[in-house]
Amino acid sequence: MAMNVVVLVKQVPDTNAIKIERASGTVQPGGQHVISSYDQYAIEAAIRLKEAHGAEVTVLTLGPAGAKDALSRALAMGADKAIHLVTANPNASDTLAVAEAMAGHLRGLNPDIVLAGQGSDDYEGNQVGPQVAELLGLPVVSNVNGLEWAPVGQLTLTRDIEDGRQTVEVAPPVVLLAISGLNEPRYPSLKGIMAAKKKPTEQIATDVPVASERIAWSEPVAPEQTIAGVMVRDVPAAEAAKQLAGWLREQKLI
Amino acid sequence: MAEPERHSGTVLAVAESDRGGALRPVSWEMVTAGRAVADAIGGPLVALLFGSGVGDAAGLLGAAGADRVLCADDPGLANANSEAASAVLVDAIAAVRPSVVLIPGTTLGRDYAPRVAARLRAGLAADAVALAVDGDALVATRPVFGGRVQTEVRLRGPGARLVTVHPGSFPAASPQDGVPQAIEGLTVALGDLETRVRVRDTVAAASGPVDLDRATIVVGGGRGLKEAGNFGLVEELATSLDGVVGATRAVTDAGWRPHHEQIGQTGRTVAPRLYVAVGVSGAIQHLVGIQGSDYIVAINRDPDAPIFKIASFGIVGDLFEVVPALIDELKP
Ligand SMILES: Cc1cc2nc3c(=O)[nH]c(=O)nc-3n(C[C@H](O)[C@H](O)[C@H](O)COP(=O)(O)OP(=O)(O)OC[C@H]3O[C@@H](n4cnc5c(N)ncnc54)[C@H](O)[C@@H]3O)c2cc1C
Ligand SMILES: Nc1ncnc2c1ncn2[C@@H]1O[C@H](COP(=O)(O)O)[C@@H](O)[C@H]1O
Repeated sequence: MAMNVVVLVKQVPDTNAIKIERASGTVQPGGQHVISSYDQYAIEAAIRLKEAHGAEVTVLTLGPAGAKDALSRALAMGADKAIHLVTANPNASDTLAVAEAMAGHLRGLNPDIVLAGQGSDDYEGNQVGPQVAELLGLPVVSNVNGLEWAPVGQLTLTRDIEDGRQTVEVAPPVVLLAISGLNEPRYPSLKGIMAAKKKPTEQIATDVPVASERIAWSEPVAPEQTIAGVMVRDVPAAEAAKQLAGWLREQKLI
Repeated sequence: MAEPERHSGTVLAVAESDRGGALRPVSWEMVTAGRAVADAIGGPLVALLFGSGVGDAAGLLGAAGADRVLCADDPGLANANSEAASAVLVDAIAAVRPSVVLIPGTTLGRDYAPRVAARLRAGLAADAVALAVDGDALVATRPVFGGRVQTEVRLRGPGARLVTVHPGSFPAASPQDGVPQAIEGLTVALGDLETRVRVRDTVAAASGPVDLDRATIVVGGGRGLKEAGNFGLVEELATSLDGVVGATRAVTDAGWRPHHEQIGQTGRTVAPRLYVAVGVSGAIQHLVGIQGSDYIVAINRDPDAPIFKIASFGIVGDLFEVVPALIDELKP
């Protein structure tokens, strides 16, 4: 039977487009919503497993109605089907509540491999992956930047840790957390985009408890600049370069 | 569900050893962080170390300021994975019933802390850079959105509250401050937990040409350069400063530069007189590789880029305009 691979995909505001409002220090999400960057490596890895060895790839998201765009993109890249757990704002909930909501559905899917991003671009908890693994009773391999389906029946993974580059072997079922360097995520082709329209997306209204008594958090704000360095801004490049060259001479760095 | 257990005012700070059994630098920071929180809530500080052959290292944690030291020393923990580490921590929590558990924000710590939080249904604040006690709440400050902004996470409740602590956020305690402590053994039944993920090998981070480590001036290029071809600008600037070229992981991953030029957590650590960051955002994993520099200059068009927080001289501007102008200025 073909391998059953499920990818956890979170939709996030494009972090390159967010602006920080100077006066209040708060984040103003501008631009579009995109698939969290590490999740794209996870999707690509799943599709490559499918292409090389045969697998059915399901993408699963927990998010607001608009998060269906993230699923459509994953389907256009080559995933087979999508599940959308519809909830107003997953960031209003503790990661454990998010992980529990997803684990509940994953149990029924009985996956051989669950792929997720190491951390999400916006809240960067690095929590949901290991928590899903714990709730499913599975091992987790984090920081994966190399993946091979070998030797037979096993995965050989490389990961970067403090001690260097580590190679590990694990047999499914397992949860894998992707980081950059794992692969080069593909752009959906026109054919892929057309095909995606016919692929099934299941929508399930999901109630996720919001921040609880045990944990709560403030709105993100920009911290005070901590180092009183020289800052040059709003001047032409030539003038800025001149000031820097002068400073480098003053500090006897050149 | 049963009432959660009400815990004492004890703080449990977990340390970590490297493959050789020596304490990682973050361990001393955990003692400092743990001591501060313990003093604020008026409870004792218990340190925990697990691994294989780590008894001597554990004793040093007592010397550095922990009131008690637990040590799980087991050959099965030589390459501890998240499941084995979780089993150790769950047992330690059952033994000392702490109100606060501080875990190093290392690769391993970030793997097992969420597992333990899920098992105990405890609140977990990830990657704290500062900690405070406010009434009955433990407040952890943590970076989000790529380090550009921060939020404050408040942990409450009767049971253990978990925090992973970002390495480099607290000063290191030193083992000379105090009397070496005896350690208390902690025995953990690992079962098959340690064998589900098998470590085949670990290769020390690639070492490249020595000049990057010893250089007095390093010019680091980031993704802001847009493509490999534009790295000529960085090379030219490095030449006019008589320095060498380094890169961020985004750049080496993209294949614009060789891997041995990568600076940061999973690359090389540099400590030059001057580090010039060009089109580098200043992600925390990059910063740990450059924080030993005497002076840091940053050129970035985003005024909120975290690199400016540690820059001695920052220019907010387009690198494609500023760098050529700077190269001109540096001509003799
Ligand atoms: C476990 C782990 C380990 C890691 N280890 C490392 C490591 O060892 N080293 C490392 O570097 N990273 C490491 N990373 C990755 C790190 O998190 C960042 O993703 C990476 O450092 C970002 O590289 P960057 O600054 O080049 O790119 P980006 O973050 O994309 O930043 C590019 C910057 O260029 C600026 N820019 C764009 N265009 C221009 C222009 N025309 N003029 C001026 N500025 C411009 C932008 O404002 C932006 O700030 C690691 C990540 C993980 C999860
Ligand atoms: N709401 C969500 N829907 C789907 N996947 C998610 C969601 N939140 C987190 N994840 C997955 O968990 C990873 C880590 O998220 P985090 O713990 O928030 O850093 C992400 O990269 C996703 O793969």
